Parts: sequence; structure tokens; C-alpha cells
Amino acid sequence: MIGTQLDLIVMVSYFVVVVGFGVYFGKYSSTTKDFYFGGQRFAWWVIAFSATATTVGSYSFVKYSAAGYNYGLSSTQSYLNDWFWVPVLLLIWLPIIYFQRIQSVPEYFERRFSKTTRLVATVFILIYLIGYVGINLLTLGQALHTMLGWSVFAGASLACVAVTFYVFAGGQTSVIMTDLVQGITLLIVGVGIFLAGVAHFGGFVDWWALMPESHRYIFSEFNKPDKFSFIGVYGQDGLANTGAFVLMNQGIIMRFLALRSVKDARKMSICWILVLAPLAAITVSGGGWIAKALVENGELETTANDSFIHAAHLLCSPGIFGFVLAALMAALMSTADTLINASSAVFVNDVYRPYFKKEAKDTHYLKVARISSLSVAAIGLLLVPIFDGETVYQAHAKFTAAITPPIVMAILLGILWKRFNTPAALATMVGGGALVFLSTFSPFDALFLKPLAFGMGEGSYKFIRAVFGLLVSGGLGIIVAYATRPQPLESIAGLITGTQLQAMEFFKGAPLNRREGEVVYVPVETDASLSGDETVLVSSAHMETLAAEAGDLLYVCDRRWWFGGLRSFHTKAVEGGEGATLRLSAEAMARGHFQDGDVVYIEKQF
Amino acid sequence: MVDMARVWPILCQFGIGGLLCAVGVWAGLSSGYLDMKLKDDRRLVAVIVGGFVGLLVLSCAFTFWLPFVGGGDAS
Repeated sequence: MIGTQLDLIVMVSYFVVVVGFGVYFGKYSSTTKDFYFGGQRFAWWVIAFSATATTVGSYSFVKYSAAGYNYGLSSTQSYLNDWFWVPVLLLIWLPIIYFQRIQSVPEYFERRFSKTTRLVATVFILIYLIGYVGINLLTLGQALHTMLGWSVFAGASLACVAVTFYVFAGGQTSVIMTDLVQGITLLIVGVGIFLAGVAHFGGFVDWWALMPESHRYIFSEFNKPDKFSFIGVYGQDGLANTGAFVLMNQGIIMRFLALRSVKDARKMSICWILVLAPLAAITVSGGGWIAKALVENGELETTANDSFIHAAHLLCSPGIFGFVLAALMAALMSTADTLINASSAVFVNDVYRPYFKKEAKDTHYLKVARISSLSVAAIGLLLVPIFDGETVYQAHAKFTAAITPPIVMAILLGILWKRFNTPAALATMVGGGALVFLSTFSPFDALFLKPLAFGMGEGSYKFIRAVFGLLVSGGLGIIVAYATRPQPLESIAGLITGTQLQAMEFFKGAPLNRREGEVVYVPVETDASLSGDETVLVSSAHMETLAAEAGDLLYVCDRRWWFGGLRSFHTKAVEGGEGATLRLSAEAMARGHFQDGDVVYIEKQF
Repeated sequence: MVDMARVWPILCQFGIGGLLCAVGVWAGLSSGYLDMKLKDDRRLVAVIVGGFVGLLVLSCAFTFWLPFVGGGDAS
């Protein structure tokens, strides 16, 4: 066991608090919209921190600390290329999925292309997601085995039960709230370890002087070393994986859809990618950098893979080290919960609803959502002993490498190019995927990948495969698109760039009002004469300040920012009288979790 | 003499990255979704450009300047 009894107590306490926190927020989940999209009411900062926790995966501390130890600052290069995808995400993809009320990536494929395309995407994405649930639980079990000496399966089972418990209770709302705590914990601990290390050496200048010059560059050299060249990492992480992250990662898409508005998605992306992602890069890599300096200074002996834990152990006193172990658990749990919730969403939205029960009450789908979360977790847990043997684990890794670039290209071409049609999408996904899969076997690896390897050897093929996948699947799609007839434009309105405003009109169900208004702060009051969930009366003066017209979409939220949007709801503007309060029906009061006299702010959306 | 093995990564990252940013902004502007008459939209474009330039400056600093500041070997 690593650490002392005190560290163990701290870690277990953290574990219990997080699970309790998640279960507590289950009370905010009463519909499928709450279960999968947190009621679409969260503030940007809540989602920014929670998304950071999700992106710092189970493997991140080991992988990036090892890279930091071996290669220095260039271990951060995977975290510094997300920004370039932000305009595509915020100005094309997000408006399409948010305003078209698309709930999953496969659903986009049916709306944009065909039912068959949706089926192919569903199968690919479910295997990908559920496989990852298994891998995450395996990593959780392995971490607990290293830290506490438990068997891998016992550790994975305990973690699985804990995570599933709060996902079952509150779905996305619980996932977001626990990941908020886990994100803050991760960043404080990771950045804290780095700063403690720097202070140990006497300051930044002294730490920097201990780093070998080769470790001080932000990028590795263009085509070396084979296993960490810039072009390899950029092809795999900067293009394929980041593209997948913003376009096809169901967990991240659901996180964006949980935001209260597309305007908040902008703030969230900026905070997340420009501020929190670099901090996350320091969080996961910093241990490796500090360990390298400790080794150079003759204070530590370690291997790259153990560098984070050894550096943290040397720098932290008992009890504080328990928080480091808790941060490791946070990274593991925050990814597993998101994957379970996302897999369940794809199952209900793309399998159960279209193939088993098309029309049912929301309470029925909520029940299925909860059961499917349990089932996904159970399948993931069953995969743990299977993945513990390398073969199936490697097969899943090959499968993931094969499907990621083709799906990214299919979505990218689908949103950018009106000529891209159903046969082209199928050719991109199936044909491209098959060719990438073939490239994982000899002699096709050398045949396909060597020409793209910039003179590097076999060690680079794993990375270069992503570039090959993007090129070959995109190329196939373009050829087939030109060889076949394009879809009628009216069938893809609102689903492709150039038609974002149509998607907004679809969302509102009326012409848009984009006049700029101001936010209004006002107390709420129950009006017994009103009924129904959507009924509010806004005074004429407030309508004028908001620059709102009857029927415009409004967002009403408790003014206390620390609720992060938990006490809020969306509604349509209805003008009513000259009162100084916002009058709400009893149902609307309950929906927003308001009480008479609470001060809220009203924001016009469009 | 400039080591091109260190320059190509910056050209590649910010060249392809710039192209991706341009595609996104073009798509926003040409569809009318990004309306430069609106304060929020103008701010978004400014932040996109600012983020790009900021990352470029950071990358150049950690490639051409900071690696040579302070002691250390040349391994």
C-alpha cells in the first residue's frame, strides 16, 4: 500500500463525499431531459470545470507524467490544439445539434443522411463507449490495486457500484455536480504538486535550470522520436482525437447540451480551453517534470510511469498525500460516470426508442434510462477480467483507432459540404474504417503508413494511422459524393452550415428576434390564476428592457451565481401588466425551484 | 541557424489550425449566424483571434527563447 492510514482515510472520505454529493443532486432529475441534459440549465463555469474533470481521464496522470518525465514540456502539446476546433464547434456543430434538438451523434446521422447510416453509427459508437467503460473500470481497479493492494476486480466493482449509484440517482445532473467537485480537486492537487515541487527547488529559475534543455520545448521535434514526434502526436491528438472530442464524443456533446444557452457555450469553451485545459496539462504533466528535476538533482529514483506518484509521495506530508490519491480517483470516476451516462443516452435514444417503443410517456423512458445505466455499468464490469488479458483490450484499441477518423470525417464533411450524401457517408465510415483496420496488420501497416511517416520507423505507425484514417476516409467520401446524386437541399436545412439560422427558427418555432437587450433583475411571485409549466407574465417595462417580444425565448434564473443554474428554467415571453414582479404559475415556480420573493434575472435568448 | 525541426511544428500547428479557425468563422459569417452588428458576436471573433495569437506567442516563447534561458545541459 502507498501512503499511510491517514492518507487512506482522506481518500475514502473523499470517495464517500463525492458519492453523497452526486446522490443529493438526484432530486433535480425528474425527466429524461434532466437525466441526460441536466435540464439544459447549467451555467458556463459549472460545465467548464466538470468537462475538465471528464477530459482528464483515467490514464492521464500516468500517460502525461511519463511523457513529461521523458520529453519535458512537450507533453502538453495534446492539450494545446483544442482551440483551433473551437470555431467549428461554436459556429457550426453546436448550433446545429442544440437548435435541432439532436440528442445523440447517431441521431444526427439519420436526420442528415439515412436510417442505415444512423444504425452503423450507433453500433460503432456503442461498442466504442461501452468498451471504454470497461477500460475505465479496469484502470480504476488497477489504481486501487496499486494504492491499497486490493484485487483488480474487487476495486473495479466497488468503484463501479459507487459511480453507478449516483449516475442512477441523478443522471447528467449528478454527473455534472460531482465532476464540478472532482475538476476543482484535480486542478488544485495537480497544480499544487507542481508548485510544491518548484518551491522545493527554490523557485521557477532553479527548477528550470535543472530541466535538461531537450525538455524545455513546447513541441517535440517534427519527426522524432518515433514514439513522440510532433507530427505523430499532432495527427493523432490534434486532428483525429480532438476532432472526435468536439464532434463525436457523446459525453462532451451532452455536456454542451446541458448548458442553459448557446451563448454560455461560448463562455464555457473559452474558459475551458484557454484557461482550464492548460492548467489540466500542468496538472497531469507537472509530476513528471518535477520528478525529472528531482532525478537530475539526485533526490529521487523512479521510472517514467511511476514519476507522478513518486514525486507526489516525496513532496507531500501524510494526509496531504491522501488528497493526491483522491485526485487520482477523481480523474478515474469523472470519466467513468460520463461514459456510463453517455452510453445509456445512445442506447435509449438510438436503440430503444426507434426499435422497441416509439411512443411512450417520459416517465417510462426515464425508467429505461436508469435501467440502461445499470446495464451499461454491469457490461463494463464484466469486460474488466476480459480486458485484463491483453488481446481483447488491444482489439478494442484497434477498433477505436479504426472508427474514430472515419466518423470525424463523416460529421465534418456532413456539416460543411451539401453535396456529401448518404452513400458518401457510408463509404467514409465503413470503407474508411475497414482500410484503417487493415492498416493495423502486417504487411498493410508498412504499405499504407510508411509513405506518410516522414521517414520515421514502425514506432510512429500508431500515431500516423490517424492521419491515414482522416485522409483515406475523407478521400473515399469525396469520390463517392461526386459519383452519386446530392440530396435535395430542403431535406438538409438546419443540418448543414449556411442554415444555422433555420435551425434557430426551428428551435423557437417562430421568427427570430436578435435585437440586443439587457438583463432584468426582478423578484418572482406565484400567480394562482396562471397554469401550466410555461406560463409567466413579464411586465411591459421589463419586456422593453429585454428588447423582447411576445413568444421570444427567455431564460429565468436565481440571481445567486453559486447555484450555477440549478434553480432556473426556460420559458416563452408573455407580456402582462405593469407589475414590478415576475408572475409565475405554481408549476413554473416548482420547475425553477423558486420561492416567492426570490430575486431572479431574466435574459432574452432570441 | 534556425532548427527547422523546431519550426515545422509551429508552422504545421498554426497553419492547419488557422485554416480550421477560418473555416469556422467563414461558416458563421456566411450563414448570418455570426452577426458582426451584435456585441457578443464581435467579442467572440476577437477572442478567437486573441486565443490564436496568444497560443502562437506562447509556442514561440517556448521554442525560440525560454529553452535557452538559465543553465542546464544540452542533452
